Amino acid sequence: MSLLAPIICDNGTGYSKIGFAGNSDPSFFLQCLPNCNCYSGTCFTVISGPPVPSKPGQIASKRGVEDLDFFIGDEALANAKTPGFGLNYPIRHGMIDNWDHMERYWEQTIFKYLRAEPEDHYFLLVRPQSPVIVEAPLTQSLQTEPPLNPPENREQTAEIFFESFNIKGLYIAVQAVLALAASWSSNRVTDRTLTGTVIDSGDGVTHVIPCAEGYVIGSAIKHIPIAGRDITQFVLNLMRERGETTAIPPEDQLRVAGKVKENYSYVCQDIVKEFRRFDAEPYKFFERFEGEHSVTGRKYNVDVGYERFLAPEIFFNPEIYSSDFLTPLPQIVDDVIQQSPIDVRRGLYKNIVLSGGSTMFQHFGNRLKRDLKQLVDRRLDASALASGSALKSSGVEVDVISHKRQRYAVWFGGSLLASLPEFYTSCHTKAQYDEIGPSICRRYQIFGSAT
Amino acid sequence: MILLEPHNVIIQTTLGEKIIKPSSLDVAFVDYDGVRFHLSTPQSKTLLLLSMHIRCWDELVKYGALEILQREYGSLLQPQAEPEYNVSLVIDLEQIPASPEDRSAFILSIALFKRNALAAPFELAFKNQKALESSGSGQGELMEIHYRDEEAIYVQASHDRVTVIFSTIFADETDRIFGKVFLQEFVDARRQPAIQNAPQVLYSNRDPPLEIRHLANLRNTEDTGYVTFVLFPRHFTPANAPGTISHIQLFRDYLHYHIKCSKAYMHSRMRHRVAEFQKVLNRAKQEVATTERKTVTGRTMSTR
Ligand SMILES: Nc1ncnc2c1ncn2[C@@H]1O[C@H](COP(=O)(O)OP(=O)(O)OP(=O)(O)O)[C@@H](O)[C@H]1O
Ligand SMILES: [Mg+2]
Repeated sequence: MSLLAPIICDNGTGYSKIGFAGNSDPSFFLQCLPNCNCYSGTCFTVISGPPVPSKPGQIASKRGVEDLDFFIGDEALANAKTPGFGLNYPIRHGMIDNWDHMERYWEQTIFKYLRAEPEDHYFLLVRPQSPVIVEAPLTQSLQTEPPLNPPENREQTAEIFFESFNIKGLYIAVQAVLALAASWSSNRVTDRTLTGTVIDSGDGVTHVIPCAEGYVIGSAIKHIPIAGRDITQFVLNLMRERGETTAIPPEDQLRVAGKVKENYSYVCQDIVKEFRRFDAEPYKFFERFEGEHSVTGRKYNVDVGYERFLAPEIFFNPEIYSSDFLTPLPQIVDDVIQQSPIDVRRGLYKNIVLSGGSTMFQHFGNRLKRDLKQLVDRRLDASALASGSALKSSGVEVDVISHKRQRYAVWFGGSLLASLPEFYTSCHTKAQYDEIGPSICRRYQIFGSAT
Repeated sequence: MILLEPHNVIIQTTLGEKIIKPSSLDVAFVDYDGVRFHLSTPQSKTLLLLSMHIRCWDELVKYGALEILQREYGSLLQPQAEPEYNVSLVIDLEQIPASPEDRSAFILSIALFKRNALAAPFELAFKNQKALESSGSGQGELMEIHYRDEEAIYVQASHDRVTVIFSTIFADETDRIFGKVFLQEFVDARRQPAIQNAPQVLYSNRDPPLEIRHLANLRNTEDTGYVTFVLFPRHFTPANAPGTISHIQLFRDYLHYHIKCSKAYMHSRMRHRVAEFQKVLNRAKQEVATTERKTVTGRTMSTR
């Protein structure tokens, strides 16, 4: 049989992106109905169904197939109100929390959605960046990389894929490396390098990850406790303050705020000027969101105002949302790079790559680049002044790469890498797994870069 | 999900999306049994080209797949398939039925592309059975469909029945055992009054059933299993036939799906057990050794 395309899975906190290598989008699309907040190509990482019986005594009398009676993704949300069904989120803060649910989640993704025989395919899975042990995100100012990303996690994943599903081969990839690979599709990138700084902002957390030739510089990673979920909440707060939300049914408010954020927000260059512009010509800048009550079908209108530019502003001026976490994103990126080994810093400034849904705001990259450049230049000037030397440094090149597939950058990077011939030799095969055991999955070869 | 669905979810959802909002597209994906699909818009955003590659295409054509596809898809079927694929359909998004019901029926029929191609030998066998019935004896041709590298479906009509035999390979020792238990369960389940009308199922490991024993290219190793279904005319009345075909052609995948699910179930039991043992271990306290220690002369030692 000619080789079938490898399967790429990126299981995120909020959404899973699943599809076949070689495609440019996660190739399984869930329908995007007007009143469902799903995105095509993604699927909620939720599973609903009656719990697996926990009492051992129950098993002997039971010959049914209750353990197959569950839904994942949008269908899980649709069935959440069925008696006996509850919603479960097997992934928390990017880490797998419930292996029973996760195993069944994968079972259904493969057999129901992808319709693939796992025995015929290679798989590329994405290893979450790190266990983020923030329970209440805003209580602590800044998280640095927790000491270890437990290898058992990878081993358990390998166990499931090799032993339950008998897959042909497995590659567990590092999220940041895939995001870097995804940026090769941008026409501004000329060399396929795996050196750069990745800013990954999803639903739960934002990571800033420096990478040198495919290796993550673990000691310099930083996490920011602000991501998509917080921005949506912030938009909702703003709309509430203005009294816009009275028209929206309470259970829909968060969803509407999410839509407003995704459809109308952008990053401005100067917040004061932007306020002035809005006040001078409100009719030009205010937008109108039209919604429909999900039960009664009643139509309603909401004005969208300052939140258009204030929402993403919390990355650059976090004090407008939180009183605990105050460091702007450009400052953190600068810190991360300064903490990395000196010989890779140039490469890290030159190739700052965006990934994840919450970096999708218009002009996000430009603003980040401008602010970061200012920080760097100021420091260079200061050190030139301090050393009193007449020689001025040639400057540091700062570049932020945005590209079309940012929303699924990690998945897309996986799709690219898994279409390279080296992918198959970099995978661990079923035979190797049987020989050595799960510990084999602690190490994977880096491949694909042209340098 | 207990039964696998006959239609392809990616085709269904993609078409549904593109009808609402046409845009250029180029995706490749798979279906069971090594089928490869390619969905693209080579000419314009509203003309979707759907191509399929099936390993056993030549065999299917021999058994009348083209006629069936012609019947199902009419003018959508392309005389010339896309290179590297066996058969192509062109779907014009501007000529899709307007009413919601017709529209979803249309989408579903496209999503059944593989099912319809693979239905050919079954439909032919049902037809042959009808023809043989009047003569009261005799057997039709033994149709072989090599739908996977080492696995095949054999379909044969005779005057009173249609026999369908699957050969399947278990890649893994554990799978073989699960498969055996599962198929035994199938045979037993049929004894229940509610499903006595279900087709008879026979299972054999290693030894091929009589009907196909004369074939030369069989692989009689320990990891091979044969499943035989005997379909009687009541199973393929005009009303039942489409459902029977949809179910039976997915049987191999259904079997392997359930083996995987059983393993997942076992794993969750194991995790549960380990967690229980861990609780016991956590409760355990270490005993403090309090034996009296004496010197040779008989004096005891005490800790200060
Ligand atoms: N166009 C957009 N503009 C702004 N935000 C967006 C846009 N599209 C999606 N988002 C936000 O991106 C978030 C989802 O991103 P993503 O799919 O990368 O997260 P994830 O991978 O599930 O989570 P994590 O990486 O934290 O585990 C959601 O909060 C969503 O609201
Ligand atoms: Mg993510």
